[in-house]
Amino acid sequence: MTLLDFARGPGFFCAFMIMIVGIVWRVSGLLMFRWRRDLSKARNPGPFTAVMGGLRTVAMRSVPPHELEKNITFQHFTGYAWHIGWFVTFLFLGAHLPFIRSILGFSWPNLPNGILLVITAITLGILLTLYIRRLFHPVLRVITDADDHISVLLTILPLITGIAAFGHWSPLGARYESVLAIHLLSVEALMVWLPFGKIFHFATGLLTRFRLGAAFIRRGVRA
Amino acid sequence: MSSADIGQDGTAFDRFEAQVKELKRGAPPVNLSDDERVRIAKRTMLEKLDFGTAMDLETCVHCGMCAEACHFYEATQDPKYTPIHKAYLLRKVYRRELSPIRFLNKLFLREITAQQLEDWQELVFNSCTECGRCDMMCPMGIHISKAIAITREALGAAGLAPPELRAVEHEQSESGTLFGIGPPELEATIAQLRSRGLQIPIDKPKADVMVLTTAIDLVLYKESFAATAKVLNKLGVDWTLEHSGFEAANFGLVSGHHSGQALESKRVVDAAIACGAKIVITPECGHAYPALRWESANELQKRLPFEVMAISEYMGREIVAGRLKVRPMAKQKKVTYQDPCKIARQGGVFAEPRAVLAALGLELREMESHGKTQYCCGGGAGVFLIDAAEPLRRRTFEIKQHQVDDTGADSLVTTCNTCRLSFTSNARKVNWNTPIESLVELVAANLAD
Repeated sequence: MTLLDFARGPGFFCAFMIMIVGIVWRVSGLLMFRWRRDLSKARNPGPFTAVMGGLRTVAMRSVPPHELEKNITFQHFTGYAWHIGWFVTFLFLGAHLPFIRSILGFSWPNLPNGILLVITAITLGILLTLYIRRLFHPVLRVITDADDHISVLLTILPLITGIAAFGHWSPLGARYESVLAIHLLSVEALMVWLPFGKIFHFATGLLTRFRLGAAFIRRGVRA
Repeated sequence: MSSADIGQDGTAFDRFEAQVKELKRGAPPVNLSDDERVRIAKRTMLEKLDFGTAMDLETCVHCGMCAEACHFYEATQDPKYTPIHKAYLLRKVYRRELSPIRFLNKLFLREITAQQLEDWQELVFNSCTECGRCDMMCPMGIHISKAIAITREALGAAGLAPPELRAVEHEQSESGTLFGIGPPELEATIAQLRSRGLQIPIDKPKADVMVLTTAIDLVLYKESFAATAKVLNKLGVDWTLEHSGFEAANFGLVSGHHSGQALESKRVVDAAIACGAKIVITPECGHAYPALRWESANELQKRLPFEVMAISEYMGREIVAGRLKVRPMAKQKKVTYQDPCKIARQGGVFAEPRAVLAALGLELREMESHGKTQYCCGGGAGVFLIDAAEPLRRRTFEIKQHQVDDTGADSLVTTCNTCRLSFTSNARKVNWNTPIESLVELVAANLAD
């Protein structure tokens, strides 16, 4: 079995299983936490109000608050940009679509390679810029831990290896098949890490916004 | 400030500030080993962690944007004041002990230490007013102030609340007094106000409304207390004060002392139930409102059989309903309004005080940050009492000072005595002359005939 065979076969299967079991484990563990009933009298009672308050906060936290605009706009919108770029590359690169079709049974039209190459390069540039910023920004240095380094590294690696595979680069004289295998393995490493690091916010981020909004609207505050 | 209370020369205020500086001497001794401190702090954190906070701790992506929401960070640019960093110990305990992936986390995370707990005292007490501005700004919707409150409680249980807060909480839970003010001083104040012809009922067996006051008002802001009585008398409300539960301040909550908080809530709740009150009115005291309105039912594990309203909220409601009539102030004034964090952002009282100001014919000039994103006065959650926090308070005041000055208002109105204390203290030090006014005093001075 070649490295590519492994990456396409058992490697992918194992990574996929770890990802699914890990997500189910972490979500189940969270759901088993105690829920406290709030016995205070709500200013705005009723489940409808709570839901609307929650949804409002989900929507409103998608843009920077006026008071912080001047300080966080770069970070806020580059955050959106690299997420979008990453997923567009993953979902619309022609080379990815047969793989997606093999899993889902269907796919969609691809975007031109030239456009995607630009998007990928921009995404990679933003990620590297944000990572360098994290290493030097005083606030980010204080709150950064190993999880941040691992998560950023594992998010960047598929882009770098993907560009290498796409361009048929042969670093250190490696064969194309090996470069492709490394690309697949980098994606699988990300899949394995997904339930254990901060990338898990994909599963909880909107819920925390919703919960905060629902809790504050109970008090009459549009959070 | 109300010159009638504090005196033109500020002697009463000076005396009070001197008294505050001496508070730490009254702190009860703590005889806990380092191991015991760690054990107690961890146990408290684990008891307080619930689904919501667990979700919050799982979701933080370390973006650091909350720093920009915090007045302590903004004033100093010191990254240690980043709000989510203040919850670091809680997150660490959660990840090691409770997280669904704790088996993995334990490989990489060490236990918290007694030294860390000591280091975090400054971060969760001296440099956090529990104002909740970070809650309004976090892009992930994390309830950061709640995580910090749990950390405060853990440190409080481990005997690591600042000595000033431990002293005040100890006094309140042991003797029922605050700053030496108890029932005799309440009676003396009532006698003094009655001698001015003001009717103040006390210990009525039955009353529709029970009014709370606080030691700060009895010491420094008697006119606020008198104004509340005037407003209620004008409305013809059947109201009372109760000896057994007149104190609105809850230093159990402020100092992170759980049993003290419950005890102090119980005094008020029992008094209100005994007199059959349908409404309990909290005075112009920021934390008193959430302590009773939002926290007490959960502390005592029972729903309250009465409504809790801040005096500003009550007056606003009565004015809007047409039951309380005020005359527009003769001289058109421009004012700005300081939303007390605990009453507004944490309590939802935004519209009522503004309705009062409008009824008084005042031109409201809002600060750039107002309502749910206003800046704290810098003294909330007991920070005003902490001697070591004084330089930080001064720095945060500069932000507030600029925001107020930018409005061009003639005066600043608020409805929280901690805001008034904090503003007054800082204003006197930097010769800032913008008058600081009490909402209830403005109303009482302008009741329609």
